[in-house]
Order: sequence, then C-alpha cells, then structure tokens
Amino acid sequence: MGDTELELSPSQEEELQKSPSASSTSTTSSLSLPSSPSSGPRPLTSSSPSTSEGLSTSSPPLDVISEGVGELSLVIDTEVAKKACQEVLQKVKFLKGEGQTALVTAEPGLVNGTGHAGASDVDCRRSRTSSKIGREEAPPDTGKSARRRQNNNSSKQSWLLRLFESKLFDISMAISYLYNSKEPGVQAYIGNRLFSFRYEEVDFYLPQLLNMYIHMDEDVGDAIKPYVVHRCRQSINFSLQCAWLLGAYSSDMHISTQRHSRGTKLRKVILSDELKPAGQRARREALQPPPPPCHHGQGPAEHSLSPSKRTHQRSKSDATVTISLSSNLKRTASNPKVESSQDEDLSSSSDSLKLEAGTPVRLTPQREFIKSLMGIGKRLATLPTKEQKTQRLISELSLLNHKLPARVWLPTAAFDHHVVRVPHTQAVVLNSKDKAPYLIYVEVLECENFETSSVPVRIPETRIRSTRSVENLPDCGITPEQRASSFSTVPNYDNDDEAWSVDDIGELQLPEIHTNSCDNISQFSVDSITSQESKEPIFIAAGDIRRRLSEQLAHTPTTFKKDPEDPSAVALKEPWQEKVRRIREASPYGHLPNWRLLSVIVKCGDDLRQELLAFQVLKQLQSIWEQERVPLWIKPYKILVISSDSGMIEPVVNAVSIHQVKKQSQLSLLDYFLQEHGNYTTEAFLTAQRNFVQSCAGYCLICYLLQVKDRHNGNILLDSEGHIIHIDFGFILSSSPRNLGFETSAFKLTNEFVDVMGGQDGDMFNYYKMLMLQGLIAARKHMEKVIQIVEIMQQGSQLPCFHGSSTIRNLKERFHMSLTEEQLQVLVEQMVDGSMRSITTKLYDGFQYLTNGIM
Amino acid sequence: MSGCDAMAQEKKAGLLRRTSSSKKPLKEKVVLMYDEIFTKDDPAKSNPRFWDELFLMKVNLEYLEGKLECLDGDEVMVMKNNLNSLFHHCVLALEEEHQIKVVNALQTLCALFRGVHQKNKSATGFDIINMLVGFDKAELRMKDLMESLDSLLCGDGSESLKSLCLKLLLCLVTVTDNISQNTLLEYVMINSIFEAILQIVSDASSRGQHGYDAVVLLALLVNYRKYESVNPYIVKLSIVDDEPTLDGLGMVVHQALTEYNRQYKDKEEENHAGFFSTLSSMVGNMFIADTEEKLSVQTNEAILLALYEAVHLNRNFITVLAQSHPEIDLAATPAPPTPTTPVSPLGTTPPSLDVMHNPELPLDPNLQTSNLLITFLKYSSIVMQDTKDEHRLNSARLCLIILTCIVEDQYADAFLHDDNMNFRVNLHRMPMRHRKKAADKSIPSRPLVCAVLDLMVEFIVTHMMKEFPMDLYMRCVQIIHKLICYQKKCRIRVHYTWRELWSALINLLKFLLSNETTLLAKHNIFQLALQVVSLFNMFITYGDTFLPTPSSYDELYYEIVRMHQVFDNLYCMVLRVSTNVGQWKEPASKVTYALVNVRAIINHFNPKIESYAAVNHISQLSEDQVLEVVRSNYDTLTLKLQDGLDQFERYSEQPKETAFFKELVRSISVNVRKNVSLNTLSQDVLLKEFSSIS
Repeated sequence: MGDTELELSPSQEEELQKSPSASSTSTTSSLSLPSSPSSGPRPLTSSSPSTSEGLSTSSPPLDVISEGVGELSLVIDTEVAKKACQEVLQKVKFLKGEGQTALVTAEPGLVNGTGHAGASDVDCRRSRTSSKIGREEAPPDTGKSARRRQNNNSSKQSWLLRLFESKLFDISMAISYLYNSKEPGVQAYIGNRLFSFRYEEVDFYLPQLLNMYIHMDEDVGDAIKPYVVHRCRQSINFSLQCAWLLGAYSSDMHISTQRHSRGTKLRKVILSDELKPAGQRARREALQPPPPPCHHGQGPAEHSLSPSKRTHQRSKSDATVTISLSSNLKRTASNPKVESSQDEDLSSSSDSLKLEAGTPVRLTPQREFIKSLMGIGKRLATLPTKEQKTQRLISELSLLNHKLPARVWLPTAAFDHHVVRVPHTQAVVLNSKDKAPYLIYVEVLECENFETSSVPVRIPETRIRSTRSVENLPDCGITPEQRASSFSTVPNYDNDDEAWSVDDIGELQLPEIHTNSCDNISQFSVDSITSQESKEPIFIAAGDIRRRLSEQLAHTPTTFKKDPEDPSAVALKEPWQEKVRRIREASPYGHLPNWRLLSVIVKCGDDLRQELLAFQVLKQLQSIWEQERVPLWIKPYKILVISSDSGMIEPVVNAVSIHQVKKQSQLSLLDYFLQEHGNYTTEAFLTAQRNFVQSCAGYCLICYLLQVKDRHNGNILLDSEGHIIHIDFGFILSSSPRNLGFETSAFKLTNEFVDVMGGQDGDMFNYYKMLMLQGLIAARKHMEKVIQIVEIMQQGSQLPCFHGSSTIRNLKERFHMSLTEEQLQVLVEQMVDGSMRSITTKLYDGFQYLTNGIM
Repeated sequence: MSGCDAMAQEKKAGLLRRTSSSKKPLKEKVVLMYDEIFTKDDPAKSNPRFWDELFLMKVNLEYLEGKLECLDGDEVMVMKNNLNSLFHHCVLALEEEHQIKVVNALQTLCALFRGVHQKNKSATGFDIINMLVGFDKAELRMKDLMESLDSLLCGDGSESLKSLCLKLLLCLVTVTDNISQNTLLEYVMINSIFEAILQIVSDASSRGQHGYDAVVLLALLVNYRKYESVNPYIVKLSIVDDEPTLDGLGMVVHQALTEYNRQYKDKEEENHAGFFSTLSSMVGNMFIADTEEKLSVQTNEAILLALYEAVHLNRNFITVLAQSHPEIDLAATPAPPTPTTPVSPLGTTPPSLDVMHNPELPLDPNLQTSNLLITFLKYSSIVMQDTKDEHRLNSARLCLIILTCIVEDQYADAFLHDDNMNFRVNLHRMPMRHRKKAADKSIPSRPLVCAVLDLMVEFIVTHMMKEFPMDLYMRCVQIIHKLICYQKKCRIRVHYTWRELWSALINLLKFLLSNETTLLAKHNIFQLALQVVSLFNMFITYGDTFLPTPSSYDELYYEIVRMHQVFDNLYCMVLRVSTNVGQWKEPASKVTYALVNVRAIINHFNPKIESYAAVNHISQLSEDQVLEVVRSNYDTLTLKLQDGLDQFERYSEQPKETAFFKELVRSISVNVRKNVSLNTLSQDVLLKEFSSIS
C-alpha cells in the first residue's frame, strides 16, 4: 500500500493542479462561465444559468441551422405547448435549485476533502479537466514540475485519491482519467481499479479500452493489459471479443507498424489460446463476484507476474476443460468411419487434427462458426439476384446445420447458450445493393455456462421418435415423455413395413380422430364418421363454408406479400412471438424448456465500427435520459465488430422499414397507423402515436447530435408498437454520403411524420417538441459522458466519421452549453421548423426513390 | 465329348492372341494354366509355385468363362477340388501386396462367379456354392473374401482397385436374374459391406468415382430376399442418421438424375434445332411419336430404385431431398482424377463428373439452385411423358411410388409447403397440338408443392389414351389427395391455380365416361371416379381450411356448374351400373353416394342461373355474372358432410407392390450384369496402370 501511494501521489497532485487551472482558464470551451474559481463547479446543472441570465443573451450562431430562422415568428406556441414548456422549465428550475444546495454542502466538503458531491457535480468537474488535460498542458508537463507541485499541494492530492476511492468514481470517470492522464501512476492505478468494476460496466467501454491499448502510449497499454488478460483467461467470449476488436481497430494502422503493434501481438496471444483459465482457481473466481476493489498495489505486480504464470499454467493439467471441450464441433454419428470427414468441412485440416488428437482448442469452434457465416456472406455476394441469393443462403445454412449443435454461441445474446440449429428456411437476404447481408434465426438452448455446460445432443431434423431399430428397440433415442407428447397411439409395429417408416400422416391424423375438439377453426371437426349408415348425416350450409373462408382470411394479421426482390419484408413483418411459436413448433428442439430463438444479421464486407460507436452513444444517451427521467424512446441495437469489414448486428424485432411499409401497404404513414392500430380515438392508436412521438423525438435528437445522414426511408424502421427506429449509422459526425449537399436539415422530419403526430397544431406535436427540449437539456448535462466515447475512438482512426479536425469540437458545439434554456427552446423550434420545411429532405427521398427505388 | 468345346476354346484363345497382340506370349501360358486347373490333378503338385505364377498373368476372362460354361455335371465333380482351390487362392491373393495379383484375382473371381452360374442356370444355389467354394469351407472362404473386399474398399489403395472391387460385387450380386435366388448372397448378408458402401458414398472424392456403383450395389443388396427374411442391409439403411453419408447418397442420385435430364435436354434441343422441328410443330401430332423416339434416353431404374429405398426406408433421408446441392461443396473438393474406365460405369446414365465438378458453376447467373427433389420432379416429368412401353411405364410407376412416399412424410410436406423455399421448377411438358410450350422463364418461383401439383395435373391431362394407365392415374390422384389432406390439417393455403386441377379432373371423368366399355373390360374405373369425386368433395366441404381466397371457392362452384354435364352423365352411368347386378354394383353405388354434394350444387345453382339469364334477358352469361349468381345464392344451399374424406390408405410395399418390385429388380439385375460384363472385360487401362506400378 505504502509503495503505491508514494508512486501515485505525484500524479494525483498533478491532476489536482490541472483541474482548477483548467476550469479557470477555459475559454475555448463553449461554456460561458464566470472565471472565478468558486463558480467552477456551478455548471454542474448545466441549465442553471438560463433562468438567472434570462433570454437576454443572444443565441449563438447555429451553423447547422440556417433555414427557417426567419420564419421563427410564424411558429406560434399554442397554450398547451406553453404549458408543457413551462412544466419543463419548472422541473429544470427545481433540479437546479437542488443542485445548488448540493453545491453549497459540497463545496466545503471539497476543500476539506470530506464532502460527497453529487454525481453531476463530479461529472462536471471531470468533464472540464478531461477536456483540457492532455491537449493544452501536454508540452510543459514534466515530471519535475509535477514533483515540485506535489510538495505544495498534498491536500489536493489526497482529494484525488479520495475521489478515486469514493463511491462516485464510476467506470466512465475511470476511462476518462485513463485517457486524459499523462501520469503512469494514475494510469496504473486506474488499470487496477478496473478490476473493481462490474464486468458489464467495463464491457461497455471495451472498444475504448482496446483502442487506447492499441493507439496510445506504452503506459496506458501497460495499465490496461493486466485487466484484459485477466478477463480473457476467464471467458472465451471476452477473449474473442477482444481479439476481434483488436484486429478491427488495428486495421487503420500502416501495415508495417500494424504487424508489430501491441494490439496485433495481444491479439495473437489471445488467438493462440495461451490465455487459458488458470485451472480451477480461475474458474472458481469467475463464478464469484468480481474481486474486491482494493487492488492498489497489485497492478504492476500482477502484470510482471503474468508471463511466469502463463508458463506455470501450461504445465497444469486442465482436465475439466479437456472433457468439456473435446466435443468441440463433433457430434455423435452413427457411422464412426465417416465422422472425420465431417469435421474437416468446418474446421481447417490442422484444426481438425488438433481436435482429433484430443487437445482442446478453446476458441476454435466459435471462430469456425463465425468464419463459416462470413464465408456464406462472401459467396452470396457473387450471385446476381435476390432470389438466387436466398436460395443459396438456405442451402448453405442447411449444410451448416449438420455441424450443430456445437459449443458455439451468438455473441449478441444476453445469456449463455449453445446454438443447436439454424432454421435455414427462415433466413432472408436483406436489401443491399452490392453486399449480401443476411438475417438468420438461430435456435439456442440456454445453459448455465457455455464453456462448462455440456453441448446438447443432436436431434435429427425429422425428429425420429419411434424408429424401430433392430439393435436397440427399447431405447431408440427418445424419452417416454417425448413419445407421449407426440403420439396418442404408437403405430402398429407388427406390420413389417411400418417398422421402417413412421406413420407420418397418422401422426398428423390421430389426435384429430380421437379428440374432436382440437379443430377449433372449423366447427365440423368430426372428420371421420365411421360408417355412413349408423349415423345421422351431418348437413352444412355452403354459405357457412364460404363465410368461414373469408372470415379466416380477413382475420389473419396483415401480412406483406411476397416479393422476390425484397424477401426480408415478409420475414420481418411477421410478429416475433408468432415467428418464435412457429419455429419452435417445427424444431426438433422446440420441446426443450430452455429453447430460445435469437436472430442476427450477418454483415460481410461492411465496416461496423461506426455502428458500434453509434450504438455506444445511443446507449449512453438512453441511460442519461432514463436517469433524468425524460421519456424519450430509442432502441440501441447490439453490434458485434468482428473485423474492419465484417460483423454482426442484433436485429430489431417486430420492425419493418418505412420503405417496406409504404411499398407493401401503398398507404400513407398515417393511414398505415390507422390500419394497424385502429381509429384515431382508440387506445391502441393513441398508444402507438405516443410511442411514435417519443421515439421520433429521441431519434431526432440523435440525428442532430450525431449528424446521422443517409436518412432515407429504408433506414428508418417502424415497429409494431409504433416506434420508429433509425438504423444504419454509416454516415455520422463528419461524414455524409457523397457530399451531394442533401440532408442539410438538422434531422429528418417529413410531413408524413408530422401527420402521424396529429399535425403541426396538435398536442402531440407540441409534446414532441417539448420532449426534444427536455432530451437536449438532459444530454447537455451529461455531455462529457457522450463526448468521451467518441473522442477516445478517434484515436488512430481513419473512419470517415472522424474526417477532418473539428469532429469533436463540432460535436460539442451541438450540445450548446452556452445557451439558456429559453434559447434552447428557440433552437429546438428552429430545428423542427427548419427540418419540416427542408426541401432537401424531400429531395433526398426523391433521389433515393430514383436511384434505389426506396419510397 | 468336351473335346470339341475345348478345341473351340483353344481356337478362341489362339485367335485372341493373334488379334490382340503378338507381344504377349504369356497369354498362352495362362490358357495352359487354366487348362491345368480343369483336370483332375492338383496343378500345384507338379508346380509348387503354380498359384503364385497364375495371378501374375493377365487374366483371360473369356477363355476361363467359356471353359466353365463347357463343363457338365460329371466333370464338375471331378474338378471340384481344383475349382475350390482356385477360388481359395483367389481369396488369398487379395491379401497380396503385389497389386497385379490382386487385380488378377478379382477378375478371376468375376469369371468364376459368372461362369459357374451361366453353366448352371438350373442348378440350386447349394450346388453352386459347393462347386465354387466347397460346402465345408464356404463360410470361412466367403468371410475372408468379404473382409478382403471391405478392406480394399475402405483402404487408401488405388481407386481403380476399389472400382474393380465394386464391379466384382456387382457381378456377384447380379449373376442370377432373380436376386433372391442367389444363395451366395447369404454370405454377403452375414459379412456386411454396408459400412464400406457408406464410406464410399460419404467421401466426396470416392463418391465422385465410385458413388454410382456403390449406390446401385446397395439398392440391389437391399432387395435380396426382402420379403422373406431379415435383410441386414434394410435394417442398417433404415437407421443411418449421419448427414454427410445421407447427403452423399442423395448427391449420387442427384448427379445421375441430373445427367439424365441434361442428356434429354440436349437431345431435345438437337431435335428442335433442326429443320424437322419446325415441321413437327406445324404438322403436329403426326411426328410426335417420331420425335419422342429420338428423345428417349434410357432411363435409370437402378438409381431410381436406390432413391426409392432411401426414401422408403430411411426417414432421415427425407431431409436430403430438400437439401440443395450447392456447387461449393463440389468446387471445394479437388476434382478427382478421371475414372480409369473410359466407358460409362454401367452404361446407362453415367454421372458426368465434368459437369458436376466445374468450379465455375456457382457463379453462373443462369444456374438455378437445385435440390434432389427438384431434379427428381424434372426427371419424373420426362419419364412420364411416354408410358407406352412396359419399361417406361414401370419407370413412371416407380416415380409415382417415390412421390407417394414423399408426400406421406410430414417433414417432406413441411418443406414442400414452406413459403420461404421457393423455386422455379421447369417441368418437361409433352408437346401437344392444342397448347404451346410454355416459356421457361415465365415460371414463377413458388413453393415446391406447386411443382408437384403441376406434375400431377400434367400427367392427368396427357395420358387419356387407349392403353389407359389406370394404376398410374390412381397413384396420381392419391398423391393430390394426400397433399390436400396435409393442407387441410395444417391449414396451409397454397396459392395455386386450383382451377387447372379441377378442369383436368373433370376432363378425366369425361374420358372415363366416353370410354366406359373399353375401360371397364380391364379396369375398375369406379375406383378412380370415386377418388376424383372425393377430391371435389374435399374442396367443397373443407375448402375453407385450405383454399387461398374466397373467390377460389366461387370458382370451384363455377367450374362444377359449368361442367355439370359431365357430372350428370357420371351420375346416370353409376346409377345404371349400381342398379344392375354385377361385379361393379358396389363400387358404382359408392360413386353415386359420393356425388351427392356435386349434384346438390348443380341442382341448386342451375335454375338460379337460368332464371338470372331469363330475368336479365341474357342468352349467354359471362363468367363474372355466373360468379355473381353463385355468390349470392350460397346461403340456401345445404351440403352433406361426407365420411372419411381426409382419410387415406397409407402406402405399403407389401403385399401390393411386391410383384412390381420383384420384376423391377430382376430387370435391373439383368441390365447391370450386362454392363458389368462388358466393362470388366475391357480392363486394359487398368492393367496398364498396375503393370507400370509394379
């Protein structure tokens, strides 16, 4: 302990030195703060100045919004809007008041080093420090000066330590300090502190951590590595995620440096599977809650130990792992002679050799699984038509099925499982011009732990439950319960012919013969009246038959028509629950209680790193809004980056694109809402409308803040509850499609959208604007948490969204820290107005219709 | 008395020697050695290295076979020991490292099996075993033989050697016309080579070269005493669940059928390209028979039998039917060296390796992804075009039987009706006067069940002829019935143009009526009529569960009312027959009963339509007007629910089909034997290969 404290002290002191100076000298920041040190923590409720300073401050130039400003006066707030806005302001005032009182109590605390500041308090302080440190002060910052200062300000040093040790020190702050601090001590400390956070918390920042590891200096890397290695030892999933991310984020480096870079090396170590769990100890640890947070001195020590540990480990017998993993991608085959050939299909020959030799390769099955999914994508891309692609996809997946179940899983899932089957006929090729992304559904069996739980036994596709095998008649692979569930009577075995082929249709017919009630649609369920003479004839009215036919067809939920050019529309339109039920019924594994259905989009040839960045930002904003209780609705969907040109996406279920909606239904959006949810006054419609407004406001803010472009209707989904969901974040921040000058408005807001909200004068439209204002205020309050995510990923990145030098600065400006709330309200009005009037949105939709046929 | 024969043989040998090559003086030696065997004395007595030397020499199959054929009963007994000894040494030689010896031994065994059987066509199986192997040693010798063959087939040895092993086995299996009379096969049952066959089929490269022979062999072995005893091959085939193996089996069948389809198409195009085609299309029917003769490519019952056995015996195989055969699988495997036998393996339809292994294939935009079922349907559509001769008729029958088995399988039904599995299936249609050949491109991509229904409709429409294939019609209508039963149970609404089916069925009834007397002499046409009427009853009373649209139900009524004459006539006919005393009384009365609803519809709507026409002063109502009348008059019509409409008899091979399969297997045996004999005799290439090795 003593040692570490000594080591850490200069850096901590340094941090303290920086932070006040930073806040006092901040001029470049968009915050217009009084320069007195005492007011430093004030903007912790960032909206606080607005009320005090009133509307007198002129609104700063809004570079994004140029049109519609003059027409501002035309937009007259209705009473409701006013009321709503007042409510918002009231709420904000209230919050501010709270914050200020918190401040009052906190400020002495800070001086004494005993106070507990509110979360927002710390956030704000950190935000200012982080924005300055590392850029402005980098050159003069030398060890000597730091040491000198250390002697002067020991009290402040302890404050930093206290901050680090306080409950408020969260992962976001840790990442921020790790990124901004130049002090190896601080970095090492934070590296150790990582162990004390919950895995999920750290996992969220994994891209940031690894990007820092790859692109930042040695010290940061050294601080991060022990943690990463530790986690890799514990989890195959984490190992693979790391390996994929390391590969993806190293790819922007020059090829020569890349080869010898730290990231590449670590990736190799992970993939060579040297980071095996350290025997039983590690296993037990993994099951236990994360180690206690007091790891202060262990960071460097553990780091230096790790190589020796590794060698130590190799000699260890790893019996449990061997047993559980030896079943890798194999499965029981009736004919042992041919078994070897099937392994070779999936894994490369060398791998299969290893498998056969009995040496477990931890990561191989999953890597091969992913590899084969990517291979399919590549091959599909060579086929010219959607129809052929779909057919090919189905056939390829059916081959893939032969190798399942296996110890493979979908990394996008939230629970541990094994993949048992891919219902191949359900897969669809998605709409894309030259690539071939595709959507697959995956049947999995949930399990305790995919590394240790045994891989499920294969059940043949045809679900043989009563094959009579001469060798083992008593147990032919079926449990009694299975048989009971599927047969009311067992087919006659005495007939020699029946022995070899199971009575299929009999299976189909028997229940109906014996139980009349199962036919619930047709009232004439008695299909067989055994003899015509013995019973009274049954009469039916022809009209009834005809009526039932038309009723049944009318009652089936609106489905989309099959379109060979857009195969995904039908598949996506089907309600998820319905699909799950259908696939479960048809699956040989469906009867198992832990059966689950997952879906995933496999993208091959697409860089998903920007998508991942957008996902992180969305997720962050979502939790900010949740925290601030702003009812904005967004749906961040999980992204798995596998390399710089491949990955997987978790599809949004129960959602189809607005393009598909319009094309299939040939209705306006509003009419479609009416058709799907009922009339204006119905509860269902109103709920759907509210959902639409809340999601629309959320995504408008997202689109504005992130400058999401390429917003044609194919990239906006509509879910069954009325939410819209934006997808495809290929053009964000500094990049836009082909720079045609389209989409100059802040976000996309078409008249159709406004119609769904009930028109410009409706309550809902005002609610929409109010939500945006609330959302913007909340986002502004936690701006640093958002900026941080983007800023770290910019390191060493060639992604188009970081093109130019002002990406971060522009992003910060869009939070408008300097505006009062009234000004923000005006800004929102302007943006909404401008977007609605935007000619370019219409132009862009027209352009998309002409070039890509997107409605 | 055998002298003359011997002389003839000598002469033959001499002739052969002279014609083939004068550089092979050893040939004479081998003939001499054969002669030594065909004596009383043990040839090894005078020459201890006799057997060693024998297998080093090129086999003279013709001479050896001829010699065996010439033997008569007494001589056999005299030479039995030597023959047994020859057999024994053949088996021993299979273990030799010297591959030439192995090759020669295999060929000698071929000649032995065939020669002995040819001579003793009337002899019992036991005599043959005794003559070849000897009773006391038979079990042991045959076990050794089978084990050697098994290890040769499964080993890493030369591909040609494996090929020869399979030829030997095919030769052994087909020496008798009736496979069940081949007593030697009892040993093949005891010492199973099933696993070896599967291994060949499951491995991509060996499948390419030997798959065809292996699958034919399997199909034949499965049919050995099928109905009398427990055949281990049946048992084993029924429980295979290893996908690569089943896929491999499917792939072999797929390739053979594809090749047939391709050959047919080539011939067809050849025909159409010429001047003749223009003429034929103009003049019409006159030339069609001629064209077809040209088009007929010999069908491949052996492979079809294999498909049948797989579908019928193994439930897991059903999945293979839907398994597309993506070309990557073939492209990924290194193209195997061209088979050593330049001639097609069995003469009938050799799988063309060049086509299937072309790595360029997957990128061909015109290439449709196909699967075994589609290929089979296309094949069936070709075969069914012409059922005039017995052989073709049987081929078509087998196709329909396989299809029956398929539609009875629930899993198969599931993928037939799977909305996500759409294919364009270009069925072959018989050129007919009154219709144009549909352009291939216009066929929409639909679930596979539509293709099956199309095929059935096509058959119904094209086979109303004097030589009425009653049996095929029954199977055909039953297949449709089974499909509809499935749709009804599962409430699947197929978007199929049912109207085509309805009008085809009505036309069939019309044909039955107009040819009543001729047909009744041979067939129970009431059975078929009952099936057809039952189908209509399915539509009438259960239409709500599977018809795609309300208007399709209207169209059904329209069609019935429009063609009411046919139903009226049918009713008159069955009423007449059922009131007479005779063998048709009962079946005819069943049809009478079944017609209740159809008659109710006609009697209900006809007056309505007439009055509508009268009221509106229209002489001829348009379709829309009739439909309008139909729509507005449903409610006053009462129908009677018929019994057991959705019940059907499941397919069962025994006892109904046994005779058919016995005959089929017999013809396949004869065919295979013929082709094997031609082949094994021309093994020059093979020998060259091994002489260079050693």
